[in-house]
Amino acid sequence: MRLAKTSGIAARLLSVLITLFGISVFIFIVLRVIPGDTITGSLGIETGVLTPEQIDDLKRYYGIDKPLLLQYFSWITSFLSGDLGFAYSTGVSVLTLTGSSLPVTIELALFGTISGVIMGIAIGMFSAKKPGSARDFFGQLFGLLALAIPGFVLSTAIVTIMANKFGYFPNGYEYMTPWEDLWMNLQQMLFPSIVLGIAVAAPVMRTTRSALLETVDKDFIRTAFGKGLKSRTVQFRHVLRNSLIPIVTMTGIQFGYLLGGAVIVEKIFALPGMGRQILDAINKREYATVQSSVMIFAILFVTINLVTDIIYRRIDPRIK
Amino acid sequence: MTTKKQEKTWVHYYFKSTSGVVGAVLVLLMMIISICAAFGWTTHDPLAQNPMDALQGPSSTYWFGTDQFGRDVFSRAMDGMRRSMTVSIVAVGIAGFIGVSLGVLGGFLGKWLDGFVVRLSDVIFAFPAILLALAIVNSLGNSWIDTSLAIAIVYTPIFIRVARGPVLTIKELDYVKSVRVLGFSSPRILMSHVLPNVLAPILVQIALSMSWAILTESGLSFLGLGTQPPDASLGLMVSEAQPMAAFAWWTLVAPSAFITLVVVGLNLVGDGLRDSLDPARRQS
Amino acid sequence: MISKKRFLVGGVALALIAGTLVSTPAKAASSELVIGSVLDIDKLDPHTSTNFATVRALGLVYSSLVEVGPGNKLKTGLASSWSFNAAGTQLKLVLRQGVKFHDGSTFDATDAKASLERILDTKTGAAGRANLLTITSMVAEGRSLTLNLSVPNVPILAALDGVNMAMLSSDDIAAGKVGGSNKPNGTGPYKFVSWEPTQSVKYVSNPGYWMGAPKITNLTIRVIPNESSILSAMNAGTIQFGIVTDPLIAKQVSTKTLKLFKVPALAYYALQLNTKVAPFNDKNVRLAIQCSIDRPEMINTAMLGEGAVSGPITSPAYKSDPNARPCPKVDIAKAKEYLAAAGKSSGVTFKALVTSNGWATSVAMAQNLKAQLARADITMDLDIVDQATYVPRWLGADFVATLANNGGRIDPDTMYTRYFTSTGNLNKVATYSSATLDANFLKGKSSGKTAVRTSAYTAISKELEDNAVWVWLATPYEYRVATKELKGFVALATGSLLPLRSASLG
Repeated sequence: MRLAKTSGIAARLLSVLITLFGISVFIFIVLRVIPGDTITGSLGIETGVLTPEQIDDLKRYYGIDKPLLLQYFSWITSFLSGDLGFAYSTGVSVLTLTGSSLPVTIELALFGTISGVIMGIAIGMFSAKKPGSARDFFGQLFGLLALAIPGFVLSTAIVTIMANKFGYFPNGYEYMTPWEDLWMNLQQMLFPSIVLGIAVAAPVMRTTRSALLETVDKDFIRTAFGKGLKSRTVQFRHVLRNSLIPIVTMTGIQFGYLLGGAVIVEKIFALPGMGRQILDAINKREYATVQSSVMIFAILFVTINLVTDIIYRRIDPRIK
Repeated sequence: MTTKKQEKTWVHYYFKSTSGVVGAVLVLLMMIISICAAFGWTTHDPLAQNPMDALQGPSSTYWFGTDQFGRDVFSRAMDGMRRSMTVSIVAVGIAGFIGVSLGVLGGFLGKWLDGFVVRLSDVIFAFPAILLALAIVNSLGNSWIDTSLAIAIVYTPIFIRVARGPVLTIKELDYVKSVRVLGFSSPRILMSHVLPNVLAPILVQIALSMSWAILTESGLSFLGLGTQPPDASLGLMVSEAQPMAAFAWWTLVAPSAFITLVVVGLNLVGDGLRDSLDPARRQS
Repeated sequence: MISKKRFLVGGVALALIAGTLVSTPAKAASSELVIGSVLDIDKLDPHTSTNFATVRALGLVYSSLVEVGPGNKLKTGLASSWSFNAAGTQLKLVLRQGVKFHDGSTFDATDAKASLERILDTKTGAAGRANLLTITSMVAEGRSLTLNLSVPNVPILAALDGVNMAMLSSDDIAAGKVGGSNKPNGTGPYKFVSWEPTQSVKYVSNPGYWMGAPKITNLTIRVIPNESSILSAMNAGTIQFGIVTDPLIAKQVSTKTLKLFKVPALAYYALQLNTKVAPFNDKNVRLAIQCSIDRPEMINTAMLGEGAVSGPITSPAYKSDPNARPCPKVDIAKAKEYLAAAGKSSGVTFKALVTSNGWATSVAMAQNLKAQLARADITMDLDIVDQATYVPRWLGADFVATLANNGGRIDPDTMYTRYFTSTGNLNKVATYSSATLDANFLKGKSSGKTAVRTSAYTAISKELEDNAVWVWLATPYEYRVATKELKGFVALATGSLLPLRSASLG
């Protein structure tokens, strides 16, 4: 497609909007398909003591008495005007809830990505120094082993060992945002980020290693009879700078994935993020909270994708 | 044809890669274990509960000890391997088939189909996997098939992406453009020119996705959304064993070891495939 | 360059670890207690709270007319004394003097009356409404509240205990300032300070509390959504009290460093059978199930031995004898006889609805029961769903059998009338009623004499067991874990945290 750049972006934006619309419909339907509603979700088996009139009253209160299409439109129009809905149980607006939980998840995903990149590059460099050697093999193996342990096992193991052996469990204290207490916040983010980062580290390690090996091969041969042996480390630095581009664009996608995959880590490390918010709301069948939270997630995700795509297209001229 | 000759050298290069060989051995071992479990060739009946022998450590009777119900952990782990493998194969099979078909068709035919495919992929990508799993498990049922379905839907976008990318590039190659102009039918072009070049990254992705599927299933089990007893998978075993790990370490170690071996094996196979299928990477 | 990068990474890591050793937050002041809970509270209205965590948390802020104390005995609460008239149709409660709400206003009979009226109002959707339906009128005079009852109803006194019967200020009720985002205003030992959803609930002690100001001045319930993490937090000293429900976690508590409180719960586990559908419309099939189950084995495997076999009634004063049933011990031969009598010698198959996350041992129990029933050629297929899906199905009796964890009360009347009387609002779920049950429940409700009540409830228990209406299994323990410095705390079977009002740290 050889459209002019501006209309290309416009076309992308349009497709983004259509995607978001699709997601809103999808999430709405999926929630209504699952058995149970807000009433049973909040009262549990005690719903049985309610009279039919009380149930009707509650249905009106929760806004689930109207026909589905009407519910959808009233939600989506409120959402677009900034009213994300109401979490009835807490009496707090979804906007406020999300305002405090989203930053937590973003920070976690960000640190997870960074730690993953650092770990991946470190191991990749370690392995690439002597390709094919035992060191290379064990470097890769270590990366793989870390990946093979299920996340919740690793998380629980870290928590248990740190707490029982070292008496160290920063996540057992009240969660602190970076502006409240930066030091505590960083400590509370440390282990969760490492656990999340492992999934990111594996592909990063692989890319780093192969990129380094490719370039080293070429440069080595070229300069062998030329100016004399250049410092390997100088080549690595040069190569690293070039390899970082595909790594960064790939991590854009990983970041989006991490946003959704953080719920287990949030549970075990008691981080009040979006993952838990959505899961708890699903369990209580709080429709507005789930719908609006998922939409926010989706908007964020799609935006990151769009930005990553634009960067990728700029760098790789083969893709039009 | 060139493809047949390439295939021979492909396999030849695969076996030259240490990762590939080690990985293949591990995966083969796990497959054998799964097949043995499928035929019931385990040391004990994985479902038989012997409460008198509960929570015993490894011994000559119970190679990896027993769990709280007196079930043999090793036999259960073998059965769990079978179920995890099944979930993984089915999930990735579905995701791969649908994802690759959509990705290739969309990338090749372009226009509105491509637009639809990309959009569909984005919608699924942006959807939290847990919510999807919950919806499927609650509306369709909670057997292993439903868990596989949930994972399949979540993984489809990756296959769409992996298949579509190369197709877009190949589509623009001069020789492909020329055979199109010459009037060769699209299906023929797809089969003989496009697919063979897309095959490489897809095979690699299959190996990787299979390893992720086993881990995803274990995460879902932790949240209560994975395969349910008695269809216990390795993920469920690990999830159940985790609170007991402090006083019954063997219940956690056996399934974890199996998961580690199969995940590492599949990743190494993926590495081996990548090394051997991409001409630029082949080691002489 | 490589070594530089690695150095950098290593250096940062070292700095972080070093920093933590240096600046670990100061140990909590001795009058502050942090409680770890997996669940967050879900609302601030005491009358409509059904979630365990909410009831526990609000129980520190609100008081009720009577209380259940250690030994499951009824004690005075906001009512300092009471008396029934001879016919048992009038209950006069004398209210405690000098009790103030947290906002400073005085508590008197008008507040008590308004609170009970609010519970009775259908618009409130109060959980305890059904227990007060025999009240025809109430008279509030100064310090006394008189309840006129339509029929003699002795258990109503026990029903007046708990957060669902919280005493609210009549002004708050009139102004609609209860629940929602309104700050709880009660008469309890602790004043509500704040609720940060998904994170914490904070309290400060009430200096004017009628039992004397609590020694622990600051209380926090902190949400840590994983019991294993709660135990770790206790081991690391970041919290001083933990609410644990999973026996597997309780078993890991090191009594060298922590205190473990364990008390038999009033709640019970039962395999509820739907007597209206096949195969359980045949009593013989139900009895076959009852006889095939080895309850001690289930407790030892699924609950790691942390439980006790139980009968229907767990209320301590009227507790059912677990041996008073057709098969007190597992008897496969007898089970097969019953199956033959039902014409099902070749075996029976049915589906059991099980919750995956309703309580910690639900799936484990289901697995063991399944294996046990298989020995009698009974196949129980497990239909495992998440709690939010389980609830509507349970309410609609959309099950052939279901493994349930139902709450217990100290009075059998409040515990079971809603299930097993023909007019009970959960009778649809119980699927069984009879004229004799109705008669006995009425007998137990109307009489104030222990002997009469005991005979009524023994008869009820016998009828339920002889007909194997449900298969009652066991009762679990309520666990509380605390730092060794906590003194004066006693665990209650109701799970209430009220004893913290007399506790101290160090």
